[in-house]
Amino acid sequence: MSENQPTTTDRATQGKQVPAIVKLAGIAKSFERGKEQVRVLEALDLEVPAGSFEALMGPSGSGKTTLLNLIAGLDRPSAGTISVAGTDIANLGDAPLAKWRAETLGFIFQSYNLMPVLTALENVELPLLLTRLSSKERRRRAETALRIVGLEDRLHHHPRQLSGGQEQRVAIARAIVNDPKILVADEPTGDLDRKSADEVLTLLEKLNREFGKTIFMVTHDPAAAERATVIRRLDKGRLE
Amino acid sequence: MLPISYNIRSLLVRKTTTIATASGIALVVFVFSSVLMLQNGIKRTLGLSGRADNAIVLSKGADAELSSTITTSQLSLLEAKPQLAQAAGGGVLAVEELVVVMTMDKLGTTGVANVQLRGVPIDALAFRPEVRLIAGRAPNPARNEVLVGKAIRGRFRGLTLGQKFALRSNLEMTVVGIFESGGSSFESEVWASLDDLRSAFGRTGLASSVRVRLSSPDALVAFQKSVAEDPQLGFDVLRETEYYEKQSEGLAMFITVLGMVIAVFFSIGAMIGAMITMYGSVASRQREIGTLRALGFSRIGILTSFLAESIFLCAAGGLIGALGSLAMGAIRFSVMNFASWSEIVFTFTPTPGIILGSLAFAAFMGLLGGFFPAVRAARVAPAKAMRG
Amino acid sequence: MNLPMLAARNALRNRFRTILTVVGVAVAILAFVSLRTVLDAWDLAIESSAKDRLASRNKTSWVVPVPKKYLDKVRVELADEGLTAASYGTWFGAKDPTHKDLFFATISAEAKSLFDVYDEMIVPEADKQAFIGDRTGALIGDALARQTGWKVGQRVTLQGTIYPGLWSYTIRGIYGAKRRSLDRGIFFFHDEYLQEKLPDHRRGNIGWLILRVADAKKGSEISRRVDELFTGSDIETFTQSEKAMNLSFMATFSAVLKAIDVVSLVILAIMTLILGNTIAMGVRERTNEYGVLRAIGFRPRHLVGFVAGESLTIGFLGGGLGLALSYPIVTLGMGRWLEENMSGFFPIFHVTPKTYATAMLLALGLAAVAAAWPAVGAARLRITDALRRVD
Repeated sequence: MSENQPTTTDRATQGKQVPAIVKLAGIAKSFERGKEQVRVLEALDLEVPAGSFEALMGPSGSGKTTLLNLIAGLDRPSAGTISVAGTDIANLGDAPLAKWRAETLGFIFQSYNLMPVLTALENVELPLLLTRLSSKERRRRAETALRIVGLEDRLHHHPRQLSGGQEQRVAIARAIVNDPKILVADEPTGDLDRKSADEVLTLLEKLNREFGKTIFMVTHDPAAAERATVIRRLDKGRLE
Repeated sequence: MLPISYNIRSLLVRKTTTIATASGIALVVFVFSSVLMLQNGIKRTLGLSGRADNAIVLSKGADAELSSTITTSQLSLLEAKPQLAQAAGGGVLAVEELVVVMTMDKLGTTGVANVQLRGVPIDALAFRPEVRLIAGRAPNPARNEVLVGKAIRGRFRGLTLGQKFALRSNLEMTVVGIFESGGSSFESEVWASLDDLRSAFGRTGLASSVRVRLSSPDALVAFQKSVAEDPQLGFDVLRETEYYEKQSEGLAMFITVLGMVIAVFFSIGAMIGAMITMYGSVASRQREIGTLRALGFSRIGILTSFLAESIFLCAAGGLIGALGSLAMGAIRFSVMNFASWSEIVFTFTPTPGIILGSLAFAAFMGLLGGFFPAVRAARVAPAKAMRG
Repeated sequence: MNLPMLAARNALRNRFRTILTVVGVAVAILAFVSLRTVLDAWDLAIESSAKDRLASRNKTSWVVPVPKKYLDKVRVELADEGLTAASYGTWFGAKDPTHKDLFFATISAEAKSLFDVYDEMIVPEADKQAFIGDRTGALIGDALARQTGWKVGQRVTLQGTIYPGLWSYTIRGIYGAKRRSLDRGIFFFHDEYLQEKLPDHRRGNIGWLILRVADAKKGSEISRRVDELFTGSDIETFTQSEKAMNLSFMATFSAVLKAIDVVSLVILAIMTLILGNTIAMGVRERTNEYGVLRAIGFRPRHLVGFVAGESLTIGFLGGGLGLALSYPIVTLGMGRWLEENMSGFFPIFHVTPKTYATAMLLALGLAAVAAAWPAVGAARLRITDALRRVD
C-alpha cells in the first residue's frame, strides 16, 4: 500500500454527481439445485457511488452473498451487466478477471481465512506475490498495511497466536495491501465479540474516510450496518 | 457396535482416497500372490514328476541325473533285488535313461537356453502311464525321431511338430510327436530313443539313471539298504518324489527369498498407505466421532469400527489384487533350474489357500495400518461434537 | 517469502502425514534402488568379463565334453594367429562334505598353462610353483578361502558328484585377482589327478578350451577359425568370448530379470498412489484456502503450482531419504555380502551413479504425476463453491 495516496476524502463531495464505482443493471442469477432452477436474484439494479461505505442487510437466503460474489467478480450473472471501477466484469474471461481482482479489489471474509502456515506479515504479503514488486518493496508495503491496521508489533506472529479481532485486522491489511479501489466484506464481524467487532468497524470507517476506499459490506449485524453511510436491504432477490 | 455399512459409506464418501489406497493394496497383494503362485507352480511341476513307489538310482555322490553315470553291466544285479515290483509280462518295471543338455536357440529372443534331452528305452511309456501323446505319433526306433514336451513345444528353434534340429553335426533329429505328462517337468524335455542318444554321444553301455518301481512305497528302505550293502554296486538310491523335491530346492529357495524381500518392502508401503488414509479419515471426522461418543458409543465401539473400516478397505484392495493375480495363470515362466542346468517352464498355479492367504495378508496390513488411527479415533472427546 | 516457499510450507503442514508419506516414498525408492542394483550387477558382471579370453565348448552344450586332442590341434594350427595362451578346464562338480550347503566351482585344469590364460590371477610365486609341482595340489580363490577357512598346506577332501568317490588335495596356493573378470571362489586342481582315476571310457575328454588372444578385437575371427577346424567332424565346437558366454548365461535368467524389472515398476506405482493420496487429502482439506487465494487474484495455474510444489517437496525429501539409506544398506550391506559370498554371480554389487540419478528423477517425476489429479481438481474448483466449503 502506497503512502502517497489521497488521505482524505470530503464526504460532502459524495453526492449524485459522484460517478458510481459499482453499476449493476438488470442482474439475474439462478442456480441449479438438483433438477430445480432456483432464482436467487432477479432484475436487480444497483449503483454504488465511489467513496461510499455501504452495508447490505437481509435475511438468510436473500441472496446477499450471491450479490457480493457478483460484485467481487467471483461469480457471473445469468443475465445483466456489472461494471466495477470502470470494467465490465460480467464479460471478462477467467484470467483477466483474476488479474482484475488482484489489482482492483480487496476481499474481507467472515472467518478471516488467513493461511495458518504463514506469519501475519507473510499473509499480508501474499497478494503482492502476483505483482512484479521486489521482495524488499513487498515487505515494505506489507509492513505499512499492518501499521495502518495497528498490528505493527505482531508482524511475525502466526494466525493461531492472534486473537480473532487481530486475525481479522491482518485480513483487512491483506485486503488493502494492493491499494484496491473497492473493498468487499462478507460478514466481517460475524465471528467476533462486540469489542473486537467495534474495533474492526472503526478500522473500516477509517479506511473509508481517510483512505477513500469504497466499502461494500454484507452483514447481519445492525450495529455494524449503523456504521455504514448507506444501508440497503435485500429480500427475496430484490433490493428495497 | 456400529454397523459395517456406516464404514463402507464413509469409504465411499472419500472416493479418491479410498480408490488410491485400495489400488495400492491391490498391487501389493497382486505381487505377493503371484510370488506364492509361482512358488507353488515350481513345487507342483517338479513334484508331479515323481512317484512315491518309484526309486531313482544314481551313481554314488551324484546329486542329479546330469552328474550321474551308471554302467549298464551292473543293472542285472540291481534288477534282481526282491523289493522291486514284477511286471505283468515278467521281469521288473525299470527304465534306464540317459540325460544330456542341449543348448538351443530360444524363439522370440536373441538368446539361447538349455533344453534337457532324455534318452528313453522303448518301454518308457509303459513305466510312465501318465505320459500321453497329444499330437503326432510315437517315434520309430533307430530313425532319430523324438518327442517334445508340450511346455516347450514351439519355444525353441526346431522344437515344433514336423521340424528338425541338429543334435550334433551330421545328426538331425525329427520331431514326430508332442507329449504331455500332467504338468510335470517332463513336459519341458525332449525325449529321444536311448540307443540313438547313446550312439550320438558315444555313451554306449552308459546311462544317467535307472528308475525302478518298488513293490510298495514302504519297500524303499529295504531296497536302499540292500543296494548300499552290495559291494558291487556304487549307487545311491532315492525315492523319486524326494529326488524332485531336492531338485526344486534351489530354485524355490531363490524365488522365496526374492519374494520375501519384495513382500517386506511392499507391505511397509501398503501399511503406510492405509495409515495415512485412516489418519486422514479420523482427522476429518472429529465432529462425527464426537457426536457418536455423545450418543453413547463406547471407546471400544469406535476403535473396532475404525479398525473394521481399515481392514475392510485393505481386504477390498486385496480381493482385487488376488483376483488380478489369477490372470498370471496365463503366463508361462521359463527359467533355468540350477539343479538340472536346463530350462523348465513353470506356471503360476493358484490354490484356494494362496488366495485366502493373500486376503488374510491384506486384512492384516489393514489391521496394522489402521491400529494407531483407530486408537486416535477412540480418544476423541464427546465435546468435539459441539465445536466446529 | 515466495511462491515455492509457500508450497513447501504447505507440504510440512500436516507434519505426521508428511513424515509417513516421506517414509513411504523412501521405502519405495530404496526397494527400487535395490532391485535396479541387482539388474545393474548382472550387467556389470557381463561388462567386467574378459573380452580377450575365449571359451570353446562342445556345440551341443557345456555339459557334453570335447576331446582333449582338440587343444593340441588348436595350439598347433593357431599358433601364428594371435593366440597368446591356451589351456582347458573341466567342470568337476565336487562338494565339501563338511560344508554341504556351500556352492563353489571345482575345475580340473592344466596347471602349467592356467596362469597364462588367467593373467589377472595373483599368486605368490612360491605358491604357484608349489601348486604346479604337486599333482594333488589345489589352488583356491581368496573368497573361497575366506568362506571355508582353508589355509595353504591344508589337506582337504571333496566328495565327487559327476566323478564318484572321495578326492583328496593339498591347498598349495590362494589366488587373488587384478581384475573383476575372474571369479575368486574357484577351486582349481590338476587334470592329471582326475584323468588317472577315471575308467577308460571317460578318459581323454575335457570340458572346454580356454584361449587368450593378443587382440580382443580379433576374438570373433579367432573363434570362427577354431570352430572351422572341427567343422564336419562328429564333435563340433562353439567358441565365443567369455563376455559373450556370460551374456548368454545371464540370458537364461531373463524371466527372473524381467520379473524384477516389473516388480521395480510396480513399487513405483504404489509409491505414486501413496503420494497422490496424501496430496489429494491435503487439497481437500485446503479447499477453502484455495478459494481465498483465487478470490484475492491467484490464478488456477498458481494453485497447480502450489499442489505440484507440495508433491515435489515430499518426493524430493522421500527420494533423498531413500537414496541416503541406499548407500549403507545396498552398497555397504547387501553389496559387501554378495561380493564376498556370491562373487561368481555378483562380482560387483553397488549402486551406480546412474541408478541414484534415475531414482531421484523418478521420485520427482512421479511426484508430479501424483500431483496431477489433485492439482486439476484444485484448478477446476469454482471459487464460490470452494469458499463455501469449510471442512
